[in-house]
Amino acid sequence: MSAAATIPVLEVSGAGLSSPDGAVAALAIRDLRKSFGPTAIIKGVTLEVAVGERHAVIGPNGAGKSTFFHLVSGRLRPDAGQILLNGADVTGLAPHVISRRGLSRSFQVTALFGRMSVFENLRVAAMQALGVGYDFIRPIASRAKLNARAEEMLELTGLAARRHVAAGALAYADQRALEIGVAVAGNASIVLLDEPTAGMSHAETDRAVSLIRRVTAGRTLVMIEHDLGVVFDLADRISVLADGQVIASGLPAAVRADPAVRVAYLGTAADTLS
Amino acid sequence: MSMTVQHGMLPLERRQAALRAALPWVLVALAAFVAPFLLSSGFGLSLLCRMGIAIVFALSFNMLLGQGGMLDFGHAVLLGFGGFAAMHAMRAAGAGLWIPAPLLPLFGAAGGLLAALLGGWVAARRHETAFAMITLGLAELASAAVLMFPSLFGGEEGITGDRSDGPALFGLGFGRQWNVYFLIATWAFGCSFLMWRYTATPLGRLANAVRDDDQRVSFLGYDPARVRFLVFLLSGLFAGIAGGLQALNDEIVTSTNVSSEASGAVLLMTFIGGVGTFWGPVLGAILVTFLQIALSTMTDAWQLYDGLLFLAAVVWAPGGLSGIILAHTPLLRAGRGAALVGPYAAQLPGLALALAGVVWLAELGFRLQAVRNGAPAGLLLGMTARPHEIWQWAIGVALLLAGATLLHRFWPRAKMAWQAQMAATIAA
Repeated sequence: MSAAATIPVLEVSGAGLSSPDGAVAALAIRDLRKSFGPTAIIKGVTLEVAVGERHAVIGPNGAGKSTFFHLVSGRLRPDAGQILLNGADVTGLAPHVISRRGLSRSFQVTALFGRMSVFENLRVAAMQALGVGYDFIRPIASRAKLNARAEEMLELTGLAARRHVAAGALAYADQRALEIGVAVAGNASIVLLDEPTAGMSHAETDRAVSLIRRVTAGRTLVMIEHDLGVVFDLADRISVLADGQVIASGLPAAVRADPAVRVAYLGTAADTLS
Repeated sequence: MSMTVQHGMLPLERRQAALRAALPWVLVALAAFVAPFLLSSGFGLSLLCRMGIAIVFALSFNMLLGQGGMLDFGHAVLLGFGGFAAMHAMRAAGAGLWIPAPLLPLFGAAGGLLAALLGGWVAARRHETAFAMITLGLAELASAAVLMFPSLFGGEEGITGDRSDGPALFGLGFGRQWNVYFLIATWAFGCSFLMWRYTATPLGRLANAVRDDDQRVSFLGYDPARVRFLVFLLSGLFAGIAGGLQALNDEIVTSTNVSSEASGAVLLMTFIGGVGTFWGPVLGAILVTFLQIALSTMTDAWQLYDGLLFLAAVVWAPGGLSGIILAHTPLLRAGRGAALVGPYAAQLPGLALALAGVVWLAELGFRLQAVRNGAPAGLLLGMTARPHEIWQWAIGVALLLAGATLLHRFWPRAKMAWQAQMAATIAA
C-alpha cells in the first residue's frame, strides 16, 4: 500500500482511466511491480480490460502470469503500481475485500473444499454475493435464493448427478469444472481463470471452453491459458506477458502477427499458427 | 451432521425428512432420561454426570478440530475459565446474591467466551500448525496466570463453593446428585442440539471451508481469520458451559482444570470417538470417561491404558469409533451384516490373547515400582505377581505373541470379507 504511494501515480481517481470509447475499464493496471528478494518478477505491467471483454494473458513459462493474477486478486501485495476495479483503487487490499468488490478467481492447482460435497462447494461460493454474512443462527437450508443459485450452478457446470460427492473424490475434469463453478457462483463482474484447461484431453477441453463461454456471459473474463487453440477461440483480446512485462496487447490477429511476440513467445511454433 | 433439507421436496417429504432428523434426538433424550434409573448408585450417577460434561466439552472441541481444522492444545483453558467464573457466581449466590444453581452454567459460558476472546484474538490469525503452537503457548500462559493470581483462582488449592447455598428455583434444591444429574443432562442436551444446529448455518459451512482450504475462502469474500475467530468464540462459549457444569458437579475448581492434561484428555476422547462426524465425540466422551473412571478404580496403570487406546486409534482406526460405524452402516442397511459375523468373531481369540498380554505386561511393569518401594506386588489374574522374575514377563510376552499371531493370520480374512460385502453393496 505504502509502496504504491511512492511511485508517481498518473491517475488518482478512476475518472481519467477510460477506454477510448469513454467507458470506465473493468480492470486497469498501472505500472505494476513485484520482486521476490532481488528477483524482479513483474517489471511494470500496464494493462486495461474493458467491461464484458474476454481477455487472454499468454506468455512463456516463468513470464510471471500467475504472479500477476496473485497481485490482482490480493493474494500478493504489489511493490508498486496501481490496480483499479471498475475505476476504484483496490491496490494492496485483502483478498476477501477485493472479492467483495466483484472480482473472483480460479486456481491453476485445483483449490476446492475437498471434504465438502459438490453442492456445498457451490453454495459456499455463492453466499457472499447473496448478502449472507458470518451467520451462525439461521440454517443455510432455509435461504431460498442461495439454494436456488447453488442449484443453478450445479446445472450450469453439469455436475448435478454428482451433487453429493465430496469435491476431493471427483474425477479431474469434474474438479476443473467445479473450480470454474466456484469462481463464478458469486456473480463476480470480473473473473480471473488461471489455466482452466490445464491437463485436459481434447474432449474435456472442448467441454471446458463451452462451460467458460456459458458461465462468463455478461462478465469480464481474464484468463491465463497455454492452449492457443482455446485462446484464439475464446479471447476478444490478448496480452502477451514475457519476462514480467506486457510486450503486446491487442486483437488476436494483431498479436499473432506481432514480430516481437513471435520472437519472445511463439518461436518456431508461430509458423504453424499463421 | 449432513442434514440438509433438500429443495424441491413436497411438504410431506419435507415433514418425513424432519422426523427422520428428529428421531436420533428423541432417542438421545430418552437414553439420558432412563440412564440414571439404570445406574442409580452413587458411582453410576457421578459417572453419568461426568459423561454429560465430557460430551459438551468434546463437542466444543470438535467444533474447532473436526469442523474447523483447528487443533487447540489448550482447550481446557476455555473450560477452566468457565469453571472459575461459575464458581465465583456460586460463591456470590452463597453470599446472598440471587443466582439459582441451574443458571450457573451461564456464568461458565461468559467465562469461556472471555477466555476465547483473549486467546482467539491471537490464535485465530493463523491456521494449521501455527494455530496449534499458539494455543500451546496460550495454555502455558493460562496455567501460569492461574497460579499468579490466587485471589481470583485460589492458587494451588483452587476455589470451592457449595451449590446448595444458592436460592432454590421452583423449589428445586441441588444438594442431591440425582438432581444435579438432570440439571447436567438438560444443559448437555440443549448445548449438543445448538452445536448441531450451528453446523448447518453459513458460519458452520464456512468453518468446513476454512478447514479444507482457507485461502480459497478469502477469494469468496470471507476473511478466514474472522471465521476462525468467531468459531473459536462459539467453541469457548460451549467449553465454558462444560466448565460451569463441572464446577457445579465438583464444587471445586483448581488449576488442574486448565492443565495440559485436561486439554490432552479432550483431544483423546474426541479423536477416539472420531472427528469426521458430529456425533463421534459424543461416543468418545462416553467411552473414555467410562474407561478413565472404571479403570482408575481397578488399576493404577489406567493412564497407560489410556495412552495405548489412543495409539491404537491413531494407528488402526484414524476415523475413530464413528469411522468404524460409518464403514459398516451401508452394509448393515443392505442386510449384509450377517456375512461379517463369522470373520469378525474369528478375531476374538486373537484379540483376547493380545489384550491379556498387554495387560499382563503393563501391570507387571507398573508393579515394579511398588516392589521397589517395599510394597507387596499383589495378585495378577489370581497369581502372585513377581515382577523381578523373568518367567512372569515371559508369560506376558507369550500371550501377546500368540494373540498377534492369530490376528495376523485371521485379520486379512475379516478385511477381505468387509471389502467383498462393501463392493457388493455399492454394486447393488
